[in-house]
Amino acid sequence: MTPATRRWSLLGAWLLALAALAAYALHTLHVSTDLRSFMPPPRTPDQTLLMEQIGEGPGSRLLLLSIEGAPEARLAELSRGLVAALRADAHFEQAINGAFDPSALDEKLLPYRWLLSPTLDAHALDADYLADQLGQRVEDLASPAATLLKPLLPRDPTLEVLALAQRWSPPKAPIVRDGVWFSSDGAALLLAQTRGAGFDPAAQGAAIDALQAAFQALPGAGAATLAISGPGWFTVLINERTRAEADRIGLVSTLGFLVLLVLAYRSLPSLLLAGLPVLSGGVAGAAALALLFGSAHGITLAFGFTLLGVAQEYPIRVLSHRREGEDALASVRALWPLLATAIVSAAIAYLAFFASGVTGLQQLAVFTIAGLLAAGLSTRFLLPRVLPERFRDVAGRAWLARAVGTLDALPRPRWLPWLLALLGLVVLWRTPGPMWENDLAALTPVPQDLLIRDAKLRGELGAPDVRYLLVLHATDADGVLALSESIEPRLDALVRRHALDAAELPSRYLPSLATQRGRQAKLPDRATLERALAQASADLPFRAGVFAPFVDDVEAARTLEPLTPAAFASSPLGARLAAMLVHREDEWLGLATLSGVHDAAALDALAGATHGAVRLLDLKAASESLVVAYRERILRALGLALGLLALTVVVALRSARRAWHVLAPMSLATLLVIVVERASGLSLSLFHLVAVTLAAGLGLHYALFFERPVADPAEARRTLHATLVCVASALLVFGLQAWSSLPVLRAIGLTVALGVGFHFCLSILMARARR
Amino acid sequence: MSLLFALSPATSSCAKPADAPVDAPTLVASLRREVPARTAYAEVRFSGLLERPLILHGELEYLGPDRLAKRVDTPYREQMRVEHGEASVQRGDRPVRTFPLGQAPELEGFLRGFAALLGGDAAALERDFTMTASGAARAWRLVLEPRDARLARRIREIRVDGSDATPRCFTTREGDGDVSVLLVDRLADAKLAVQVSQPQVDALCRGIDAR
Repeated sequence: MTPATRRWSLLGAWLLALAALAAYALHTLHVSTDLRSFMPPPRTPDQTLLMEQIGEGPGSRLLLLSIEGAPEARLAELSRGLVAALRADAHFEQAINGAFDPSALDEKLLPYRWLLSPTLDAHALDADYLADQLGQRVEDLASPAATLLKPLLPRDPTLEVLALAQRWSPPKAPIVRDGVWFSSDGAALLLAQTRGAGFDPAAQGAAIDALQAAFQALPGAGAATLAISGPGWFTVLINERTRAEADRIGLVSTLGFLVLLVLAYRSLPSLLLAGLPVLSGGVAGAAALALLFGSAHGITLAFGFTLLGVAQEYPIRVLSHRREGEDALASVRALWPLLATAIVSAAIAYLAFFASGVTGLQQLAVFTIAGLLAAGLSTRFLLPRVLPERFRDVAGRAWLARAVGTLDALPRPRWLPWLLALLGLVVLWRTPGPMWENDLAALTPVPQDLLIRDAKLRGELGAPDVRYLLVLHATDADGVLALSESIEPRLDALVRRHALDAAELPSRYLPSLATQRGRQAKLPDRATLERALAQASADLPFRAGVFAPFVDDVEAARTLEPLTPAAFASSPLGARLAAMLVHREDEWLGLATLSGVHDAAALDALAGATHGAVRLLDLKAASESLVVAYRERILRALGLALGLLALTVVVALRSARRAWHVLAPMSLATLLVIVVERASGLSLSLFHLVAVTLAAGLGLHYALFFERPVADPAEARRTLHATLVCVASALLVFGLQAWSSLPVLRAIGLTVALGVGFHFCLSILMARARR
Repeated sequence: MSLLFALSPATSSCAKPADAPVDAPTLVASLRREVPARTAYAEVRFSGLLERPLILHGELEYLGPDRLAKRVDTPYREQMRVEHGEASVQRGDRPVRTFPLGQAPELEGFLRGFAALLGGDAAALERDFTMTASGAARAWRLVLEPRDARLARRIREIRVDGSDATPRCFTTREGDGDVSVLLVDRLADAKLAVQVSQPQVDALCRGIDAR
C-alpha cells in the first residue's frame, strides 16, 4: 500500500466510523426541549408543584388569541369556526370564545343544576319564591329577550341554567358582540388551552402549527389575521429567534474561521482535515450521552458544544508546530505531553460536574469529557496519519519573527498582576447591583411590544396571571372543594377591595358533597312542589301543566347521588376542574388561578389565616430560588473542578512553580472577565458561568504552551503562531456572538471574547518563558 | 301631551291621493319622526306558554337613531332603554340590569330594524330586511323579513299596518309561532277583552277604515 492509499483508506474508515456513531446517536438520543428536565430535581413538595405548574399549570398552557382585520360579523363567524375546529383538535384541551354554550351542562347532568347552583342556599322552592320567579318570567315573555328564553322556560322557569352559565363564565369576561368575545378595539377574542406543557417548545410548536392551520382552513380567513400570545407562544417565538440568530452568526463565523485558517496555513486540505477532531468529539459526546442517558436536554447539548470549542485548539497546535521536513506524527509526539496535560486536566475538572448530582450537569460532563477525549485522541493518533505530506513550516515567516521580538522586548513588571488583581477585587466589591441574574427569562426576553400586547389581551380576557397560584391542601378531593368553598367569601371580599381582579376556585365548578346534599335536602317532594307551583301561578296567565318538565327535574334531583369530580369529568367543564385538582400520594391539592393580583400581601394574609391549609405560591420567586440552588451547585462543582485542575497541572509539570506560572494568569484573567462584566452593569447568569469556564479552558492552553521552555527560537515562533491563530479564531467566533441581539448569545460571546483577550495578554505577561 | 301630535309625521309632504298604491321606500321615509317622539301603546302578546294573551300598556319613546325606550305601566312596572348598543332594564324597584345587546345578536337586529323604521331610514332597513309594501296610502301594510338567517329563525316577520304617515300596529311574528302586536296611536286606547284572540287584534289593525 502506498502512503497515499493508506492515508485515504484511513480517512475513509474514520469518516465511516463517525457516520456510524452519528447515526447511532441520532437514532438513540432523545433531545428534550422542556426546560424542566434541565432543572435540578425538585426536593420539596413545593418545588414539585412548581415544576409541574411551570409547564403544566392551567395558566401556562393558555394561549390568548385575537382575530382582526375583517368586519365584526365575519370575525364572529371566524371565532365560532376556530373554536369548533380547536375543540376537535387533540392538541387542545379547551377552546372558548364567550359564546353562550347551553351544552356546558350536559343534558344528563341538567337535573344536577339544583345541586350545583347556589340559589337554594338563599331561597326555598316554595310558593313565594316561585311566584316571584314566575312573575318575572311573564315580564321576560313581554321583553325582547323572550325569543331567547322561551325554549328554556318549561324545564327551567327559575333560569337556573343561566345562573350556572354566569357562574362558570370567566370572572371578568370581555364584552360580547355578535355572540362572541370582542376586545374594546374590535378584535374577536378567544382562549385556547393546550394539552402540551407551556414551556415545552416542541409541544407548543406543534399546537401552534395546528392552530394556525385550523385558522387558515376556515372559509374566508384570508383577509383576517390571527394574533397569538401567551407563555407557549413566547416559548416557540424565542426558540425560533434564538435558533435563527445562532444559525446566522454560526454561518458568518464559520466562513470567517475558514478564511482565517487558509490565511494561516495556506492549505485547503489541512484545513478541512483539521475540522475532523472537533467533529469526532461532538459525535462521540452525543453517542456517550445516548449510551449512558438515552436522552439529553437541548440546553445541555448547546452548552456541551460551546465547551467543546476548546478542542479546536488541538489540530491548530499540530498544524502550527509542525517542523520543516518533519513527519506530522513526529511533531504530534513532541506536542503530546503538553496537549495530554491540557486534555486530561480539563477532563478531570469536568468530573466535578459529574459529581454535582444534577442530571443536566452530569450529562454536560459526560458529553464534554467524551468529546474532549475523542478530539484529543483523534488529533494524536488519526489526524497526523491523514494530513498531506506537503506543508509549509510557519516558523519561516518574517512577521512572526518580528512579533516574537516585540513580545520579548515588552516590559513585564512583576507587580502588574498583583495590582490588577487588587483593582479587580475593589471594583467587584464596590460595583452596585445584584451580582447574579436569577431570572432565567431575562436571558431570553420577550420583546416589549409583545409583552404589552399580552398584558392588554390578558386584561381584556380576564385571563389568569402566570405568576401567582393559590394552593389548597386537603386529604381528599372533596376536602379541597370544601376548603375552596370556605375561602370563597373571603376571596370575594378581597376582589371587592381590589387586592386582585378575580379568582377562579375549584368550588366555582363543583360544590363539595356536603353542600350538594344540603341543597338536595331543600328540594320539595313532587306533591309539595306541585301545590306551590299551582299557588304561585294562580294569578298568572301560564298554561296549566306547562312546567311539568320542571317538576320532573326537581323530583329526579331529590334522589341523585351528588356529583364527584370523577363523575363531573365527563362534562365539558370537567377538564377545567380536573386541571385544578392535583392528587399526591397522601393528599390532594387544589389550584386556584388568580387574575390581576395588585396586592400579593393581602392574599398572603388570607392564606396565613388558614394555618397552612391555603398557601400563595409565587411561581416567579419559587423558580428564582431553583435557579439560585442550581447556580450554587454549579459554583461548588466549578470550585472543585478548579482544585482538580490545579492538582493535575502540578502533577503533570512536576513543579509547583511552573504550575503557578500556568494557573496564575488563568485565574487572574477569569477574575478580570468577571470584573469587566460587573463593572459594565451586567448580572451574571448560568450562561456567563459556562462561558467563563470555556474561556478558562482556552486560557489554560495559552499558558501551558507559553510556559513551555523552548531552546529553539523557531519553536517559540511556532508557539506564538499557534496561539495567535487560536486567539484570532476564538475572537472571531465569539466576538460575533457578542454583537447578537439576544442576551443569551451575547452573554456567551462577550464573556468568551473578553476572556480570550485577557487570557492571551496575561499569559504573555505572566507565563511566557524568558529566554 | 298630545300623543297624536307627537306621532304626527315630521314631513308634511303626504299630499298624495288617498288610494294611490304605496311603495316601501317612500312609505318608510314618510314614517320619520322628529326626535323625541312619544306614544302610548297597548301590547298584546300571544304565546304557546300562556293560556291567555298578555296585555301591556305603557309608553314608547323614540330618542334618535339606535335609541329607544319602552315603559310598561300595567300590569307591572318596567322601564327599558336601548342606547349605544346596550340595553338596560329596570323592573319595579329592583336594581337596573344592563347588558350589551351583542349578547343577543338577534335582539340587536330586531331593535335596529325598529329604530330604522321610526327614523324613516329606508336604506338602513333595506340592509337588514326585505321590504314589501301593499295596500294604498289610506290603509297600507309593510312587511319586513329579516335577511340574516339567525335573526330569521327567531323573528319570522315584522308587519306594520297604518294609514297615510301614521303607523298603527307593529306585529312581530316569532320563529316559534308566538305573536306580539303593538298597538299605537289611537289604537293604544282600544278596549281589549281579557281573552282577545289573534284574529280580533288583526282585524283591529286592518280595520282602521272600517271603524
